[in-house]
This record gives sequence, structure tokens and C-alpha cells, in this order.
Amino acid sequence: MEVLLNTGRTVDQGVSMERGKTSQEYFEKVAVAFLHPEDAKALGVGEGGTVRITTEFGSVVLRCFLGNTERGSVFVPMGPWANALTSALTEGTGMPFLKGLRARIEAVPGGKPTTLEELLASWRGRSGSV
Amino acid sequence: MVLCKGVVCPFCGCLCDDLEVEVENGRIVSTKNACPVSRSKFLSHAEDRAKPMVGGREVSVEEAIGEAARILREADFPLIYGLSSTESDAQRMAVRLAELTGASLDNTSSTCHGPTVLAAQECGAVKCTLGEVKNRADLIVFWGCNPAEAHIRHPIRYSLTPAGMYRQGKKDRFVVHVDVRETRTSKMVNQFVKVQMGKDYELLSALRAALRGYEVKGAAGVPGEVIRGLAERMKGCRFGIIFFGMGLTMSRGKNLNIDAALRLVRDLNEHTKFLIMPMRGHFNVSGANEVLTWLTGYPFAVNFSRGYPVYNPGEFSAVDLLCREECDAALILASDPAAHFPAAAVRHLASIPTVVIDPKVSLTSKLARVVIPSAIAGIECEGTAYRMDGVPLRLKRIVDSPYLPDREILERIIERVGG
Amino acid sequence: MIIKNGTVYDPLNGINGERMDLFIEGGRMVEEAKGEVIDASGLIVLPGGVDLHSHVAGSKVNLGRLMRPEDHRRDPVPRTEITRSGTGYTVPTTYVTGYRYAILGYTTVMEAAMPPLTARHVHEELNDIPMVDKGAFTMMGNNHFVMKYLKEGNWENLRNFVGWLLKATKGYAIKLVNPGGVENWKWGKNVEGLDDRVENYGVTPREIIRGLARVNEELGLPHPIHVHCNKLGVPGGFGTVIETVETVMAEKARIHVTHIQFNSYGGEDWATLSSAAPEVAKALNRFAGATCDLGQVIFGEATTMTGDGPWQHQLFKLTGNKWYNSDVEMEVGAGIVPYTFKPKSLVNAVQWTIGLEVALLVEDPWKLVLTTDHPNAGPFYRYPKVIEWLMSKKAREKTLSEIHRVAPSRSTLPSLDREYSLYEIAVVTRAAPARLLGLKRKGHLGVGADADVALYEFREDDIEGSFSRARYVIKDGEIVVKDGRVVKECWGRTFWVSPPGELPEDARQEFERHYTVSLENYPVESEYLPRSEVIPCR
Repeated sequence: MEVLLNTGRTVDQGVSMERGKTSQEYFEKVAVAFLHPEDAKALGVGEGGTVRITTEFGSVVLRCFLGNTERGSVFVPMGPWANALTSALTEGTGMPFLKGLRARIEAVPGGKPTTLEELLASWRGRSGSV
Repeated sequence: MVLCKGVVCPFCGCLCDDLEVEVENGRIVSTKNACPVSRSKFLSHAEDRAKPMVGGREVSVEEAIGEAARILREADFPLIYGLSSTESDAQRMAVRLAELTGASLDNTSSTCHGPTVLAAQECGAVKCTLGEVKNRADLIVFWGCNPAEAHIRHPIRYSLTPAGMYRQGKKDRFVVHVDVRETRTSKMVNQFVKVQMGKDYELLSALRAALRGYEVKGAAGVPGEVIRGLAERMKGCRFGIIFFGMGLTMSRGKNLNIDAALRLVRDLNEHTKFLIMPMRGHFNVSGANEVLTWLTGYPFAVNFSRGYPVYNPGEFSAVDLLCREECDAALILASDPAAHFPAAAVRHLASIPTVVIDPKVSLTSKLARVVIPSAIAGIECEGTAYRMDGVPLRLKRIVDSPYLPDREILERIIERVGG
Repeated sequence: MIIKNGTVYDPLNGINGERMDLFIEGGRMVEEAKGEVIDASGLIVLPGGVDLHSHVAGSKVNLGRLMRPEDHRRDPVPRTEITRSGTGYTVPTTYVTGYRYAILGYTTVMEAAMPPLTARHVHEELNDIPMVDKGAFTMMGNNHFVMKYLKEGNWENLRNFVGWLLKATKGYAIKLVNPGGVENWKWGKNVEGLDDRVENYGVTPREIIRGLARVNEELGLPHPIHVHCNKLGVPGGFGTVIETVETVMAEKARIHVTHIQFNSYGGEDWATLSSAAPEVAKALNRFAGATCDLGQVIFGEATTMTGDGPWQHQLFKLTGNKWYNSDVEMEVGAGIVPYTFKPKSLVNAVQWTIGLEVALLVEDPWKLVLTTDHPNAGPFYRYPKVIEWLMSKKAREKTLSEIHRVAPSRSTLPSLDREYSLYEIAVVTRAAPARLLGLKRKGHLGVGADADVALYEFREDDIEGSFSRARYVIKDGEIVVKDGRVVKECWGRTFWVSPPGELPEDARQEFERHYTVSLENYPVESEYLPRSEVIPCR
């Protein structure tokens, strides 16, 4: 399914971030994607299921939750998982593209969300996909 | 047990200064008046602390500082980035260090409200402090922001419910939320307007047109009569304000979206009193802009290679320098770009000698060659922070810690670099 | 240190161009001393300059910097072994501000407008301005509590509040900016005259001015109330400044009217703008307790920035230039608009004549201070040009021949032959401001004064050049400038006053209710004044 990617703050992201970004809580609250229930149904994924989101910049697997967004878009809390997908193009402003990107989303039945270790390795290893 | 009152919270741009913190045996045990994120920050302050490291090996702080100085001294084109989660003296030191090493100096506003600054540099802005809103505003518009999740006490302290001099409370205010999706904020307001993603500029322009009496049939997925109604409401209020956030700065158009919003507010001043305020994310990103501006003339994306400050967002902003692989070393202070920059930028950061100064284990510190632990401003060391509306407050030292404040670490690096 | 054989101008001690030696020890002027000798033959020696009205530090100054990257790009300042880098031009960065004042031979600068709620910001910036001693004026003319106590007629509370506020902000003097008008601006309005009522408070600008003037004297503050009058920038509005002065004189109080040029307009509209300097000068000549500074226009770029929110909005509407507005709860407002003064603009040309006219028509130079209301009418580094115009009719005639051809007829400037002497220049740039500020160790070179000394090579044919780069500047007994360059960075102290006064009880609760900071976090902590001195009240 083609969707528009939106990223931003959530209370859970903020609270868990202050506890520590390497914590299990941070992983559980930030390696997530919010989908509108109708879109989730069409995709064949339920609350707590896993999805793979891909943009031209990268691809990650996230745990899916329902709500918090409109049809045709997916909301991912700000953080390293969202940023595996975002564009660094600033168009001369210094501000990269962190909202409104075109993304593809597919259900990954029984999948596991991309771990922080995998993200770290991708940064160190200079490869684009995880 | 010691009770600290009037504590200034070091999390977001609200800079609430009515917190109460209980300290027992040198540890924070409880907080009062703190939002959930603030509470989390205070209560977990001692957890997950960074350790001084060089190349993955734990070392003394002095050795880490020495290695940091060496990296900066030997770099041809270093980047110093972050600054927003520390106090103003540390920010001043960062400017000094950048000047001495000919570095590029940038802060988190380049990926936050930098576009706001760019727009304001074109047309100015009509601003006020938060107390003006509390006391006078009868129309409040949250545009592209989500205070319920990002500035949690903003609605109760400043914008939605507090009793002000001329307003009793929520019933004296009409609150609008304009966004691409309904959020917890939408549930607090009187009117939610859904704007299509990437179309805020069109909606803002349509409002300006409606204000000037042009016929407006609809824009950005918003029907004409809603636009006209909103324009009338804005025109007819006594004192209105637009609070805006990343929904405008990060979406297609970026600074042009803000430009449209600033001009809309300017136009509204022909009819009534109307103002605009960016919802600043970090508790002292405002301060980072202020300090850089009074010392260099420019608020972010400044370069000192020529021995004097040169300003060019897009050229000297951190994401760009990293993506184009132009910087050959980096010092990251009071920020975690590995978590919050697009991965392409993070990959370069991982490949160059990077120094991280942070109280906690940040994701960037996991990629860094040098890690220097520091005291948490507002909890373990005092200093000045600037609120989202520019009001400066003094952060308190609530507990002692064995960690050096950022400003001292930078001073020592400056000494070693040869300043 | 010995300054040998210079031609000394020290008006506070009556010295008018005498060849004499001066002695310095321990940072002060003394009777006799040994040590390094500066050969001052052929040079004139003046006390360090005192600027009693300049916008150099604080949130609106910084907004001015922020909004004008184009202003800075024209004037980059590289760092040296001794000095930090920065940028100019009309709103220079803090280090550059300090260095450039020093190069001019100025050693004391007062920040003209400090909003109490953001006083911390003013002090942070002042702490980053090297070379000069400094202070800041606390704005009160639109303050909630001031207006409240005036309305109630509660003089004791008013006096207590003002005394407390000066201490809480570490301020030096009481500043009024468009009193009453800025409170109305918070509802989008203004005041039209001294007897207009301020919405919701019911007091008038006249009552605010009178009340603060009275309190100023009762508290024995060294400086008079420092007033940016109502109806600034209004053609035909000159009557307001005269009425304001009369109001204060009737209280048997003192008043210092700032940037008086901007309030001295005759005519009916911009097209018929004329100078009302003769009328204004007459009022100044009449009253002993009234003083002013010029706010002299310099052609070229400027950045207007004042606490007069409604006026700045007006300027935006007149010019279409970018416009920053900044209202501060319960207290003040501000606005910033870049502006260019053009000699061929009739309005600007008339404005240019006015400041000089006032200076030439006011008989007693001790009532006058040279300023450009930096950066409103021009940057402070052009003060030497103003000196040249004051000293040389020829220089004035040259400029008169270059401006809009109608402008000279709107002013009496062409007919004024008076030329300021070096002594009088020393008065309006040193002695008078020091005296008006009540800084007893400044503005003169007598025994006991701070050793702040400026030496210039005076050339009659290049007055502006003579004063643009001092040959030597000594600050607290150390040479800090040589041949127009900073040779040593030094740090001055912040002056403030500590009159009696505690915050009235009823104000505490109201403060907590209406402000968005807690009362305990409001007063400026002593950490913000690492080097300071309290100047005693009378």
C-alpha cells in the first residue's frame, strides 16, 4: 500500500527517551507505526502486528498500532526508526524532509521490529537497508 | 528530605518554573507539577549515565578531553552541533571553541524551527510572551503542532485553561486545531480543521485571500465556508494567536509555510491584535539561537573557517555538512543526532572522528570515538535557559553530581586546543 | 602612568585646552605618579566618552540582529590574537560593540531599555560586551503595577514597587517609553495625547509621567526619569514633548527626554513635515531640570528598535519593511523595523536638520548629550560625523547642499552659525552625560576619577576622522586602544542602583496570578553581575 509518512512526538516517546534510548521501553514505544484502522484492515494487519515500511531512503520493520492518524498515512514517532526512512534533502534550508514522504507499507506476519543494534550496524556499515 | 520549589524544568520550550522536587540523600525521589516526560527526566536522572571513553575503552575524563582537543585541532573542517539541551554559558563556550578551530557551528533549530527563522528574516514576526496569551487571548490556533504530546502543560499553563487577567478560563477562549490528523490535541479544542498533508501553504494563502475579501472556494481539502468562517473569526477576535510547530516547518514548503503564516498574522494586525509563536522543542534551543546571534550575528548554521562568522543554512547546517561528507570531525553537545537525523547523515557521523558530550548514553555516543559525560543542566548544574517566547530563567542545581558541567568541559577543551 | 604634555579638555573641572600632565595610578587619576609615559604632545586629551542612551543588549536588540543577516554580511569582523570575531553593521554583535566603542574613545555605555521580565537577557549580553562600563535602564512606563498604584493613588506602594523593581532587575534608572501607549497597543491601539486614558487602567500618560517623576526624586535616584515621549514620529506632534517637560517641571522634578529629534516635528503630515526644533529648544532653555539627548539622524542604514510597539507598527505600514513586534506581559512592548535614511528624501532630510538644530539652539550644552539613539537614527560609530556637523558650519553646509532641495527651508539650520568648540564637544559627549547619570568618577579627569582617558589627534580639516579612531584609550589605567586598534581586551563593571523598597504584599499574589513565571524566579540573581558597583542614591 502506498501511504504518506508522518513523524513526530508522542508522550510515550518522550517519557521512554528520558529513561534511556537503549531501554526496552524506548524500543517498544518508538519502533512503532500508527495506521488508520481501515487501512490496517485493507493491509491485513491487526493491532500489534508487524509491518515493513519502505521509502527510497531505507526500510524498517515496525510494530503496528491503530489510530493516531488519517487514512492514507502512517505515523511513526520521531527517532532512529523513523529516520531510517526520512530524506536528508534540505533544499538549501538545513531542514531535511521528516514529514510527508511517500512510503510503501506491507504486512509482515510474525515479523520482528528492526532492532537498535541493526540500525547501529547500518550506520556503521554504510549500507542503506536493514 | 529537601523540598525544592520553583524548579525550572529542563525538558521542553514551555520551561515550566513551578515544579517541586523532593530530594532525599542526594537523590531525586519525587516531583510535583511535572508533566510525565519531565517527571521521567527528573526521576531517571541518575540512570544510564555516559562514561568517559576513547575508542570504546573507558578512560579518565582528562584523557577523553585531551583526545577531543586533538581531534578538533587536527580536523580541517570540523562540525560542532547540538547545544539545545544545555545552558547559555556552555553555548557561549561552544561559540568560542568553534571560532578557535574554524569550525561550523549549528544547533538543533536547523532541524526544528530553523525554517521559522529563515521566514522571519524575510518579513519579521509579531510576537509576545506567553503571559500575554494567558491574560488576553480569546482565539487560539494550534497549527501543525501537538501540545498534548509535545508541550504537555502548555494548555494548562498558558493557552487553554488558565485564568488570566481578562479571561476566566477555557470558556472565554475559542481554540482551533489545524493539522493533517486528529490527535489528543484535537480533543481539547472547539474546532478541528483537517488540512491535506503538504498543503498548509495553500490553506494559509487562502486565509489571507479571504481576509482581503477575495472569493475563496476551498483549499488543501478544506471547504470554502470553513476557510471563510475561520478568517472571519480571526478578524473578529480581540486578541488571537497562532502557535505552530513541525507540521509547518517540516512539511513541503518548510520556511515558505512559515512565511505565509507570518504574513497572515501581519495582515490580521490591520484588523485586530494578532500574534504568532513557534512551539520550541528543546528547553534551551531558544537560548542557543540567542547566544549564537549575540556573539556571531547569526542564529544557526554558522561557519568560522575564515576567522569570522559566515551564515548559510543549507551549506553549514549539520544535516547538509554530514550528507555531503564535508566535515571531517564532529563534536556533538547536548543533542542526539544519531536518533534524530536522517540515516544518511548519521552514516557519515559514524565514519568520522566524533566527540560526544552528553550526560546520558545517547545513540550518537555509541558511534563516537570520544565520549565525555557531563552534568545535567537544570538538575545537576545551574545556568540560564530561554523559554519558547524568549523569557530567560535560571535553572537550578537540585542535586550534586560527580560530573562536570558542559561549560567546564568545553573550557578545558578550549585550553587544550590553544585558546 | 603619565600622560605628558597633552592638551586637556575637562569641562567638569573647568579645563579648556590646557597643556598639562596627567597622572594615573591604581586605575584612578592621581596627583602624582611614576611609570610608563605616554607622549601626548600634539594630541588632545579627553575623559572617556559616556553614551547615556544606546541599544546594545537584550531581547529586542538580539531580534534586530536575528532579522538582519544582510546587515551583518556587509561587515564581518575577523578575530585577532587579542579580539574575538563578530559582525556589524547597524546591530553589531556584543564583542564588536565593545571594541568599536573603545576605538571611538568611549568607556561607559548605558543600555537604554531593559524589560524587567527579560532583564537576565540584558545582563547576559552586557557581560559579553568588553571594554566599557555599563548599566541598563528599567522600563516602567507601561507596567501593570505602576499603573495600578497610580490609579489607586497609593504612593507608598508605588514607591516601594519602583524601588523593588530597580533592585530586582539590577537597573540604573527609570525608563518610560510611550507611557500608557504600549499598554493600549496590547489591544492594538495607542494613546493620542497626554490625557488619553489607558484602557482598563484609567490612568493617563500624564499621570504616569508625573507619578514616576515624583517617585524618582523621592527615591533620590542619580538619573532623572529617562523618557521616550508619547507621540513620537508624528508630524505636528512636538507639543507633546513640551507638555511632557512642563508636566514634570510642575512636579519640581527632573526629566531627561531621549532622542528628542524624533519628537520635534512640525507640519501637518509627512509632505509638510517641518522642524519644530526652535519651539522644543525654547522649552529646554526655559527649564533647568530638563535635559535631552539628540537622536541625530545619520544618512545611511539604520535599524529602528524601540519599546514603542505601536510606533514601530506604524513604521512598518509606512515602509513595508520587515517588522518584528515583541510584547512582554504586564510590562512593556517593542518593535524592530530596518530603515534607511536617504538624503534625497524630504522627510529624512528634515529629520536630519532637527537634531543639529536643537543642539545649536539650546544655549547650555550641559543640557545636551550627543546620541543617535543607536541604532535607530544611525550606528554609534558615526558619532564623529555628528561632532563634525556640530563643530563646523562648513560641514553642515556641505550636507545641506546634498539633501533634498526643499528640506533646508523647513528648518532654521541653514541660518545657524554657531559652531561647537572642543570644550563643548567634551561636554556633550563626556561631562554632561556623566553628570546626568550621577557617575561621579566618570566624565572628568580630576583626582579620584576613574582613569578612563581618550587621546585624539585633532585635525580641523577632518573632524570626523579625528574622532573615529583614538590614538590612545586608557581604561581603568591600562592602555586598551592604540592607533585605533584594540591592543588589550578588558572588562568593565555594571552600575546599578539599590534604593529602598520592597514588593507590596498585594502585588505578590497578583504577580503569581497574572505572570507566567513564579515570583521567586523573577529577580535577577547576583550571578548575572560578576563585576558590578552600586551607585548610591541621594
